[in-house]
Amino acid sequence: MTWLFSRLAAAGVLLIWGATLGYFYLSGRITSYLHPAFHIYTGLSAGVLLILSLALLLTIPNGSGQHSLSGIGIFPVLVLTIPLLAAAKLSPSTFGASTVLNRGTVDSLADLPGFSPPLHPALPRADGSATDGTLMDPSLYLKKNAEGYIVAEAVDLLYAADEPTMREDFENKPVEITGQFLPSHTGNPHGNRFNLTRLFVMCCAADARPVAISVQTTPSIDLPKMTWVKVRGKATFPVEGGRHIPVVVAESTTETDAPKESFLY
Amino acid sequence: MNTPWFSFSAQDFSYAFISVLLEGVPFILLGTLLSGLIEQFLPARWMTRLIPRNAFAAVCLGGVLGVVFPMCECGIVPVIRRLIAKGLPVSCAVTYMLAAPIVNPITALSTYAAFRGQGAAEFTTLRVGLGFFIAVLGGLAVLNLPIGAVLKTNVLESLTLSGPGGGDRLSPHSFLGRLIAAMETGVRDFLEVMVYFILGAGVASIFSTAVNQEIFLPLSLDDRLAVPAMMSLAGFLSLCSSSDAFIAATFVAFPAVAKLAFLVFGPMMDLKLAFIYSAVFTRRFVGALAFGLFILTGLLCLRLAVVLV
Repeated sequence: MTWLFSRLAAAGVLLIWGATLGYFYLSGRITSYLHPAFHIYTGLSAGVLLILSLALLLTIPNGSGQHSLSGIGIFPVLVLTIPLLAAAKLSPSTFGASTVLNRGTVDSLADLPGFSPPLHPALPRADGSATDGTLMDPSLYLKKNAEGYIVAEAVDLLYAADEPTMREDFENKPVEITGQFLPSHTGNPHGNRFNLTRLFVMCCAADARPVAISVQTTPSIDLPKMTWVKVRGKATFPVEGGRHIPVVVAESTTETDAPKESFLY
Repeated sequence: MNTPWFSFSAQDFSYAFISVLLEGVPFILLGTLLSGLIEQFLPARWMTRLIPRNAFAAVCLGGVLGVVFPMCECGIVPVIRRLIAKGLPVSCAVTYMLAAPIVNPITALSTYAAFRGQGAAEFTTLRVGLGFFIAVLGGLAVLNLPIGAVLKTNVLESLTLSGPGGGDRLSPHSFLGRLIAAMETGVRDFLEVMVYFILGAGVASIFSTAVNQEIFLPLSLDDRLAVPAMMSLAGFLSLCSSSDAFIAATFVAFPAVAKLAFLVFGPMMDLKLAFIYSAVFTRRFVGALAFGLFILTGLLCLRLAVVLV
């Protein structure tokens, strides 16, 4: 292996990595892999890797003296390129049902990453009477679509199940919610419920936790696992297992495209 | 349990694998570029002036460096390799390597945020304190080992070539020449560490997608089982230390000491790191380090169970 081959191989590897990272960043595919806070680092890295690749080619020294880049063999080059390219090609940019089931679904607020229970009750009013904790008109933060359905996320309903004030904002109100279909094997006594899941991400897809709420349909429906569906129906919070759980009683369940931001943060 | 304990999907594996690479590469790149700059621009005499003569104080300083020069666990290995070449004692370097991912301000803040409402201040203090303590113990253990048992032969040879003092031979070239040499060193380190990172990310991705994590739940009932179970989980999942607290906080069924063990052991040793460490350290040392950290963290956390009840 000559020093020149080593240098060209190094430049080639950096070029492939820079181009791949750049492709993920510029194509927007990165939104399915990383928390938005990390996107810029990937973009910058792509630029730096491409510059380094070019710089290696532009600074090839004359002669074959001692070079710090000599000795890069075929095996490292293959390890550095083949898995990256193969995984980039093979990755569907979303998890299948087996990984979601392996990670176990988050179905209560206490299990939600980053959730902190309120430390203190709300301060009393000036006259000393207790406040209900509502500080804002719900219409200001509950987005509705043209048909009057509140456009909610699975996490919103988990919060509502746990917070009485927020529960009032949703209970028996029409909601529209998008997620991925998974059959429900627990908490489904009549067999007419399925789990609507979304991936909740702290850092990257590798740490994603599936958040799930129950959807009740009449008649029961069956779809391929992890199909994206849009559910319209009424938000309810029955007490099951000693706590309120979110159950959307569906009026309609339709297959839909994956949203641009497939993660919840 | 309806799901089998192991179910591999090549597509899910690829997805998790790519996401780990996309997340980790920027930090490794930063670490390796820094390593190149250290090699070319940091005179070894600075290092020898900085390090106290007392071995214990020097090892403790290694831990404090983690606060002053925060680095994440992925990017730190190329940096310590160059610092060793510049004369930083291996014991200090190991302490810095183990402590930095835990004691740095970003990790402390994320731990505080993740455990709000669950004794955040106590938890953060315990994580940082225990991480520092174990890192110092790790460094002290290395102090008594022959350097040949710790560093890989090629790393050792590069030190020997540099001569005593870790190579104070800063390149005689112009600034531009040294910058090019720094780039070459950085690129070489990047490629070397990335080989191990890719292998580690691959193994970690298999575990994070194919293994049913509910198999750990029955172990949550007893501290003596919960602590090693959570450390094993941290080892398999190979999470980033800046965000692992958010994941640990969700294991509500597990006792606090088990979550603490998860947060102290994970950033020091996991599947991905075991491979990355192998770029600098001998396999035997990496194995012994993993074993020692597992036992030490486990025992200390079980001892702390009395405090955290």
